[in-house]
Amino acid sequence: MSDSATANRPASNAPSAGLLEGIVQAEGYKYGFITDVETEDAPPGLNEDTVRFISAKKGEPAWLLEWRLKAFRRWQTMAPPDWAKLDIAPIDYQAASYYSAPKAASGPKSLDEVDPELLKTYEKLGIPLGERAALAGVAVDAVFDSVSVATTFKDKLADLGIIFCSFGEAVREHPELVRRYLGSVVPQGDNFFAALNSAVFSDGSFVYVPAGVRCPMELSTYFRINAAKTGQFERTLLVADRGAYVSYLEGCTAPQRDENQLHAAVVELVALEDAEIKYATVQNWYPGDENGKGGIYNFVTKRGACRGARSKISWAQVETGSAITWKYPSCLLEGEGSTGAFYSVAITNNRQQADTGTKMIHIGRDTSSTVISKGISAGRGQNTYRGQVKVLSNADGARNYTQCDSLLIGKRCGAHTVPYIDVRHPGAKVEHEATTSKISEDQMFYCQQRGLTAEDALSLIVNGFCKEVLNELPMEFAVEAQKLLAVSLEGSVG
Amino acid sequence: MLMTDDSAPFRDAFDQVLATVAEPAWLTTRRRAEMDRFALLGFPTRRQEAWRFTDLEPLIAAPPLPAPPLPAAGGGDGPAPASLAPWLLPAPTHRLVLVDGRFAPALSAGGALPTGVWLAPVAETLRRRPDMLEGAFGDGEEAFAALNAALFTDGVVLALEPGVVLETPVEIIHHTMSAAHARLHIALGAGAQATVVETAMGTGGGWGNTVGVISLGAGAVLTHLHIQAEDPAACHTAAVRAALADQARYEACALITGGRLSRRDMAVTLAGDGAQFRLHGAYLLDGEQEATLSVRADHLGLGCRTEEVVKGVLAGASHGVFLGTVAVAPGADGTDARQLNRNLLLSPQARVDTKPELEILADDVKCSHGATVGSLDEASLFYLQARGIDPETARRMLVEAFAVDAIDAAGLPDALAALARRHLRRWLDGGAS
Amino acid sequence: MSKLLEIRGLRARIANGREVLKGIDLDVAAGEVHAIMGPNGAGKSTLSSVLAGKPGYEVTGGTVRYLGQDLLAMPADERAREGVFLAFQYPVEIPGVNNMYFLRAALNAGRRQRGQAELDAQQFLKAVRERLKLLDIGDDLLRRAVNVGFSGGEKKRNEIFQMAMLEPNLAILDETDSGLDIDALRAVSDGVNRLRDPARAIVMITHYQRLLDYIVPDRVHVLADGRIVASGDKTFAAELERTGYAYLGDAA
Repeated sequence: MSDSATANRPASNAPSAGLLEGIVQAEGYKYGFITDVETEDAPPGLNEDTVRFISAKKGEPAWLLEWRLKAFRRWQTMAPPDWAKLDIAPIDYQAASYYSAPKAASGPKSLDEVDPELLKTYEKLGIPLGERAALAGVAVDAVFDSVSVATTFKDKLADLGIIFCSFGEAVREHPELVRRYLGSVVPQGDNFFAALNSAVFSDGSFVYVPAGVRCPMELSTYFRINAAKTGQFERTLLVADRGAYVSYLEGCTAPQRDENQLHAAVVELVALEDAEIKYATVQNWYPGDENGKGGIYNFVTKRGACRGARSKISWAQVETGSAITWKYPSCLLEGEGSTGAFYSVAITNNRQQADTGTKMIHIGRDTSSTVISKGISAGRGQNTYRGQVKVLSNADGARNYTQCDSLLIGKRCGAHTVPYIDVRHPGAKVEHEATTSKISEDQMFYCQQRGLTAEDALSLIVNGFCKEVLNELPMEFAVEAQKLLAVSLEGSVG
Repeated sequence: MLMTDDSAPFRDAFDQVLATVAEPAWLTTRRRAEMDRFALLGFPTRRQEAWRFTDLEPLIAAPPLPAPPLPAAGGGDGPAPASLAPWLLPAPTHRLVLVDGRFAPALSAGGALPTGVWLAPVAETLRRRPDMLEGAFGDGEEAFAALNAALFTDGVVLALEPGVVLETPVEIIHHTMSAAHARLHIALGAGAQATVVETAMGTGGGWGNTVGVISLGAGAVLTHLHIQAEDPAACHTAAVRAALADQARYEACALITGGRLSRRDMAVTLAGDGAQFRLHGAYLLDGEQEATLSVRADHLGLGCRTEEVVKGVLAGASHGVFLGTVAVAPGADGTDARQLNRNLLLSPQARVDTKPELEILADDVKCSHGATVGSLDEASLFYLQARGIDPETARRMLVEAFAVDAIDAAGLPDALAALARRHLRRWLDGGAS
Repeated sequence: MSKLLEIRGLRARIANGREVLKGIDLDVAAGEVHAIMGPNGAGKSTLSSVLAGKPGYEVTGGTVRYLGQDLLAMPADERAREGVFLAFQYPVEIPGVNNMYFLRAALNAGRRQRGQAELDAQQFLKAVRERLKLLDIGDDLLRRAVNVGFSGGEKKRNEIFQMAMLEPNLAILDETDSGLDIDALRAVSDGVNRLRDPARAIVMITHYQRLLDYIVPDRVHVLADGRIVASGDKTFAAELERTGYAYLGDAA
């Protein structure tokens, strides 16, 4: 080869090997800061006394303590699930602390009482709890470690009869509603992590939208794990009464810490006749570093029951964070003509592992469900879609359409698709499609020929790949999600 | 060591096998090891992921045991030759009939074999050429395969030297009345080609437990039609393992209609570059039947291709299960794998479970799978009726059209395709509700 | 006229494969339209791919200077931002990515490189409307994902529309006429003709003479077996039409 000869350099021109393999560690996780607030923690360890301690701290009624203890005893007999395609180091459940609260006595009555350090934290996260939130038209409940620190717009919502408050407050103010619905969708013994949550959950959000009311603003909870060596076990219960409508957003971040932290949440949704619930999550817990050190273990049970005829529940999730994600937001389609949907984007980069999907259980007649899942694997990430579609013998006219697409970026990652389809009614129509492919070199080159850098081209193509899911997110979340996708893929091209 | 007692019913049969066979010492050692392994494993349970949809209770409750050998070849209680006729390929074929897992020469018919072809019962091969089968009995982790290796009495060995093309199809009839633990060993040298038809049938609610071990050399081509048509009280378990070298092609077609309980596990390893695996098949079930077709394709080489199209037709209170795994190993670039499972539910009691899985660890791949479950298209039914066709005939036409596709797309030689279609029609005449 | 593109002794091969370009010499000045013709397999598409920086090709010798810079030293996206535009023979589909969004991202990437302010949504839309009118293209194409579900003709028109938006210094049209019926060919050609500009050079790569009836070139070159074996003015094309490529075997 002569001196003047120039190979079309892999670094610039070959997305296949060089471009996608070279690692440039860019900006990294930008929510990894730690807030310095005084907290009150439970001593590490888990036994019945811990459960009593939590319940006493929260001044709970006896029935709830009993409910927790029942869950705890159940949990002790259970084993962690091992069927997911996840490599999880054994977890010492006695090493974690099960309660951590910012020291502010019995919780703030108004925003003025909230620790300014906390307000600053949420500002940094881009979650304004003050008046500026009004402009965004989003009511926010912020959960910091174990407790809810602020709920905005309560009064305005109360005018419409909508209850939006911390779980603890709901137990005090609306015990009848909590008692009626708590555990009605996710029973205490549903699975290992749900049982653990039922025993030790500390706080979370509660929403009740009365019959015929259309909630005029997006409701939002922002979860933040701050303290070291704590688990976070929040519980969300959302009830939409007949003909009600509510759209709910959930966001999550955590500081960058070397040890793994456990997040085992439970979310229960109940939709009565003609009610509609949209539940969107952008999960961006700290994913660990590029070698897999640290990061959140995200073991979450989310389930919605379409109890009433023609009710609708839609889950949308963008999962970019966490070292390990184990999560299957599901729908029990009980009511005649009820509808379930699951839209998911899950990205695993570096050493992240995700095993996520949904269950659509068709129980009533003419129920229908849609599942759209987009999995993206980069680095050494392992990404599994696991989903079940079950049509029971009374579900005449049930319909399901499932589409799962996987995208692989680089040679060391994995993409797996594990659908379970169980149909017991001839009147059902179930369709499942899945594809796995890599980022197309032709697409990369086409974008680059139009002047986009490799990173921008990748981000554009990935966003296009996820379009059908991103379309299901509320506008402001969709923009945030697009940016997160780009950030999550940083380092997967160089 | 914790032992299950699942092996207890088989101990006598095992001792009887050891007492009656004359075989190399290494094989006896192997049999003992496999029996121990079965004792350790026990029958699979529904707690095991791969078996969660399969109800083995009908088998475990009273597993059929191997009958003693027939008193004389062709005599005794064997099937009348005429009863086999509807199931046979037209001549010329090399036909080997196994009655309860033992070669029955009087029912068999062969022609002269070209040079470079070894086609003989397993028992005979063990007598004349034991070297051919040494090391062929370690069957991995599956309980049924362990039991087969412990208890087998006979089977078929087909071995082709490199470059040999066997034009005449090899026809293997498994006729089972009690219990048969038969083996099938196929080894094709580089560039060799063969066609094999395996038909499982029988009377009296027996149990066939077969193990097939297939090895295809570089560029070898095996066409393998499997028809499973035992009586509705029978049990059938079969494991087929195939290893494909560079550019080898395994063309499989499976038609499953028989047995109260049946399970066919195929594990195909595309080890060489450019290897190809195609499976077309159908399970057509009625009454209380339950059938599982489990297919795992492991892609290790570069540029391998897999295509699976499996149709299910479920009538009565039957239960069909499709478990398909397409796995792509790290570095197996250029893999192109497609998997499709389509099911028709014809009655309110029928049920289907389908689990088409992808495990992808290489990025330069094109993999897809699809699964559908539905009933007959009402619009098509009405269209046919509007043209004067009665509902029953219309229904049958549509079911046939749905299922026959699995045979047509398999690209079988004419005689095999005709046999498979004849079998499909027989099922439609007797089975579809 | 200044030389926009200077190709000297360019040799290239498909990565780990055979040599396809065996020493190309070509000068293109601003304002000129060059046609490169030749039989299948002559290396026409390889030339356009190498100039645009497509992966999978290896330059084994020679130089390419573009506006005085070493073109081959630049990554593909930088070449594009510096004003090299390739109209693809097979425009690529990018599902889920809106055509307008894509184009705005590309346009602003180029503007950033040149130190110009990015266009906001309003300005961008205005520019789009002007070009649409110029090229007589309906705006329904813009609402769809990049090239997804486009007919062959729509894809080629979309390429020319992108060219109009990105205003390159050097446009390489790779078999832009292939697969077009006569009406589509006329529409695409009209678009290209409107984009002829004293500051812009256009290199058309084609197998067929008929394109040159619509876009009349200043220079015509015949590429055979990896070399330019004959060149001439626009009348040369007509001559080729009569004699075909047959005699080239000897010339080469």
